[in-house]
Amino acid sequence: MKTRSKKTRRQLLIRIGIAAAIAMLLIVVVVFAGAFAPNDPYQTNAAFIRKPPCAEYPLGTDNLGRCVLSRVIYGGRTTIAATFFLVAVSFVIGTVIGILCGLFGGIVDRFLMRIADVTLAFPQMVIALAVAGILGGGLGGALIALGITMWVSFARLARSHTLSIKNEPYIQTALLAGKSTGYIVLRHILPNTMAPILTNALTQIGMTMIGISGLSFLGLGVVPPTAEWGSMINEARAYIQIAPWAVLAPAVATIITIIVFNYLGDAVMDYRDL
Amino acid sequence: MELLKGTELTKAYRKKDRKVTAVDRVSFSLQEKEFLAIVGESGSGKSSLLRLIAGLDRPDAGRLYYRGEDYTGKKCGDIGRFLQMVFQDAYSSFDPKMKMLDSVRECGAGKSEEDLRELLKSTGLDEALLMKRPGELSGGQCQRMSIVRALYSGAQILLCDEITSALDVSTQAQIVHVFQQLREERIFSAIFVSHDIALMGELCERIMVMKDGVCVEEGMMQEVIAHPTHDYTKLLIENARKQSF
Repeated sequence: MKTRSKKTRRQLLIRIGIAAAIAMLLIVVVVFAGAFAPNDPYQTNAAFIRKPPCAEYPLGTDNLGRCVLSRVIYGGRTTIAATFFLVAVSFVIGTVIGILCGLFGGIVDRFLMRIADVTLAFPQMVIALAVAGILGGGLGGALIALGITMWVSFARLARSHTLSIKNEPYIQTALLAGKSTGYIVLRHILPNTMAPILTNALTQIGMTMIGISGLSFLGLGVVPPTAEWGSMINEARAYIQIAPWAVLAPAVATIITIIVFNYLGDAVMDYRDL
Repeated sequence: MELLKGTELTKAYRKKDRKVTAVDRVSFSLQEKEFLAIVGESGSGKSSLLRLIAGLDRPDAGRLYYRGEDYTGKKCGDIGRFLQMVFQDAYSSFDPKMKMLDSVRECGAGKSEEDLRELLKSTGLDEALLMKRPGELSGGQCQRMSIVRALYSGAQILLCDEITSALDVSTQAQIVHVFQQLREERIFSAIFVSHDIALMGELCERIMVMKDGVCVEEGMMQEVIAHPTHDYTKLLIENARKQSF
């Protein structure tokens, strides 16, 4: 039984390693987009409009003669950076709210958790569409629209783990040792709640990416000419029958990135549950 | 000299829509260097009483005194200067993410390394265990480490909540031996909460028997075991004798 568990653990570590390596590769490519993009993503060329893939333009060109591969690489920077930023901000805000609610309880806890309940009663995209519609187009509006609902999962997770930890004997021992609430949160509660919250963050990356690309596709996120996968698909869908590569390239990039981060999140969750 | 005293301590909890009195006007005293046993079955209120004494819960009524000074309702940190708890589940009394050394130092900030080494020696623990995490220690080692931590903090009173009930018989004997050994080397008092009257007989000189939140009998250990006056105490002693055969 122990050997089997060890084998499963090793297999999971290999899964995590592979997913993490691909994720890192994607991040490196988009961070150093200038080194990997063969052309200027914003350079239009009337002579090469909707040109199929060739040596100069490996994934062809779009309606304005811009290099699709370069736009996919630069677009990844926008999508991935916005996703990471949103997940990180939601992670911090949600975790702080969750820990404080779990630790102190009371009226603020009840008020915030009822807001969370109401937020969870609606599909995330419906709220995001409504908020993004009110705020108008732009990446900032899309991030606020998605962020309004995103902190909830982190807050609920942090709260439930804090509630289960705060009465543990080691917390009572720290209290008897005269340790302050801040010390107990930083030294005991945070490290012991981090694993499930980090796993949640990893699984949220894929969902957030879909959200940002989805809003951009609907014209409520990133505004052209800025390269972003969702807005690229939206722009190119008008001439999909003439230049399918202009839609397929950002679509495939979105799918691959989401699969990689979801796979990584699942593998980490499985490893944690072992 | 009287070290610790509790007068008419009362604590009630809400259980669904019902009010349950866990501790009902219990008074006690603890002398210097004395080991006191609080014995009773599950739900008799002994652990609740211990939490009141430690300041982890606030009594609804009654007062607590340390060396004659009222400490009722004081902060845990202030109370922790003179008393520390040793919990039933030793593993959960240590942060699973922290090394033993960090957990021990957390309670004994500013105390000498020499004192820690002496305590480890007295309890039969290897210094290398300090570099391990709780999950890497056996139940007995972990419990002994929690005793080390409590004494290293400089507390003069240990509150031990069912510290042997999760251990096997031979490890229970080790813990009893550790306390007997420490008692010869150090000046401290202890209150042991347990349902095992026989084991308490080996450690403590005084006993309090609790039932339904009330102290039904108290006195010197040998006297109570030899001549119990309350029916409940007689039942506990009888059961302990049956188990020993």
